[in-house]
Amino acid sequence: MTKLVFILNELFRSLYRNPGTAIASILSLALLFLLFDLFWIAAGTSDKFYGNLLSNLQMHVYVEESASDKDAKALEAKIEEIMGVADAQYISRETARKELAAIVGVDLLVGYDDVNPLPRSYVITFESTHLQSAAVDSVESDLKRISGVGKIDYSRQWLEKAESTRNIIKNAGMILGALILFTTLVSSANNIRLMTRTRATGFWQMRLLGAGRAFIALPFLLEGFLIGSLSAVLSWLVILYSQSKVSFTQFELVLPTLSQVCLFCLAAGVLGVLSGLLGIRKMMR
Amino acid sequence: MIVEINNLFLKSDRGAQIFKNLNFKLSSGRSAVIQGPAGSGKSSLVELFIGLRRPESGSIELFGESIGRLGEMRINRFRRKIGGVGGLFELIPSYTVAENIAFPLILAGEQSKTRKELLLKMLTEFSLIKQAGTYPRRLTRVERTLVQFARASIANQPLIIIDEPAAGLDSSTAGRIHEFLVKQSFSGRSMIILTSEKTTAISPNSDYYQLKAGELV
Repeated sequence: MTKLVFILNELFRSLYRNPGTAIASILSLALLFLLFDLFWIAAGTSDKFYGNLLSNLQMHVYVEESASDKDAKALEAKIEEIMGVADAQYISRETARKELAAIVGVDLLVGYDDVNPLPRSYVITFESTHLQSAAVDSVESDLKRISGVGKIDYSRQWLEKAESTRNIIKNAGMILGALILFTTLVSSANNIRLMTRTRATGFWQMRLLGAGRAFIALPFLLEGFLIGSLSAVLSWLVILYSQSKVSFTQFELVLPTLSQVCLFCLAAGVLGVLSGLLGIRKMMR
Repeated sequence: MIVEINNLFLKSDRGAQIFKNLNFKLSSGRSAVIQGPAGSGKSSLVELFIGLRRPESGSIELFGESIGRLGEMRINRFRRKIGGVGGLFELIPSYTVAENIAFPLILAGEQSKTRKELLLKMLTEFSLIKQAGTYPRRLTRVERTLVQFARASIANQPLIIIDEPAAGLDSSTAGRIHEFLVKQSFSGRSMIILTSEKTTAISPNSDYYQLKAGELV
């Protein structure tokens, strides 16, 4: 108990004696974490945005002209059996004519009642787990093997671009995240190293009197934890305050859950402890 | 036995022989005055006692246990049983006089109330009440030595190592220090006093040694 009180006392003594360094440290780390938070939110928001867009992905499967109407309707069951297909909606020549008239505003096929040239087709939607180009490709291959299926049409290029954009955001986020974490570690370790350098003689004396390394280092590790977690909390407070002041109409911001934010702050604290270890390592030799 | 050194050989980092076949015994409650000129190895001897150096051969036992190959945690436990003055044992610059004196009690896990009582006793005994809140850099050399003595006495450790007790002290402080040493030697604590000055044993239960050519005679 005596030692614990002493360690806590040492922690606050260090913060009290170097308030400028501690505040500068918290602010600089909070700024780095703010960048990280913003990218986290951007990644989540864009992920949801693309998720919504992809959920509207449809594939148009045209029935061969030689197939009878009965055979064309029979295709529905076969198409729905394919893994990843959520729904297959049959569009007859008549329905296609009505849809065309609705789009154009006028029935262009007046007088062609008996020889409607529009093709019969199926509009396929996908299960959420199959909204990826590889899975859609596989559905396309399975469809091509079904007798009576003609041309298959879907926005393949758009799907690939959407996926590539998602990957770019994800990869950039990971690289930026790693860079920010590395910068945080180095910056925080340097701050703690600066604070400990002036006290090196004191550490040596404490060790001669029988103080263990852990006993001497613990206040600095706790300081790292406190600075790391406080910086993370501060960065989220800034985010929450900004979010309450700004609104977006085109898309909805996706913020991490409270438990994710708490975990992040805890992780930032652990990062601070690592920085403390790095900062004090040389002094403890 | 508080300290027992048998057939100890020690070389410096540069390979020069510091001790050859060194033998030394200090039983509980007795004191030893070790006199030797500068460079005779007094500081190396202190480093051996507190586990900062390991001998090339021979054995060194502290409080009945060999410390030659002990790990750092065990060494720390031994160091807590030793009070040190002078030489290596400087004050912690970032602590006040009171905090420096009370530090061994913190390591011993003493309660706050006991710490305060013992601290007040030491501050009074060494006339350091006025300096209690002062940092070491603002103290005179004499005051710093007095604080070291107070720190070495507060936890009532079984062994005190004093490196050059009267170095740089005026005659009146040196007299007070001598009084302290005599008092300690009769209190049942063991002391090792290392000095470069020609001196005699401090009390009837103390022994006198000379460090000559790497041996204690």
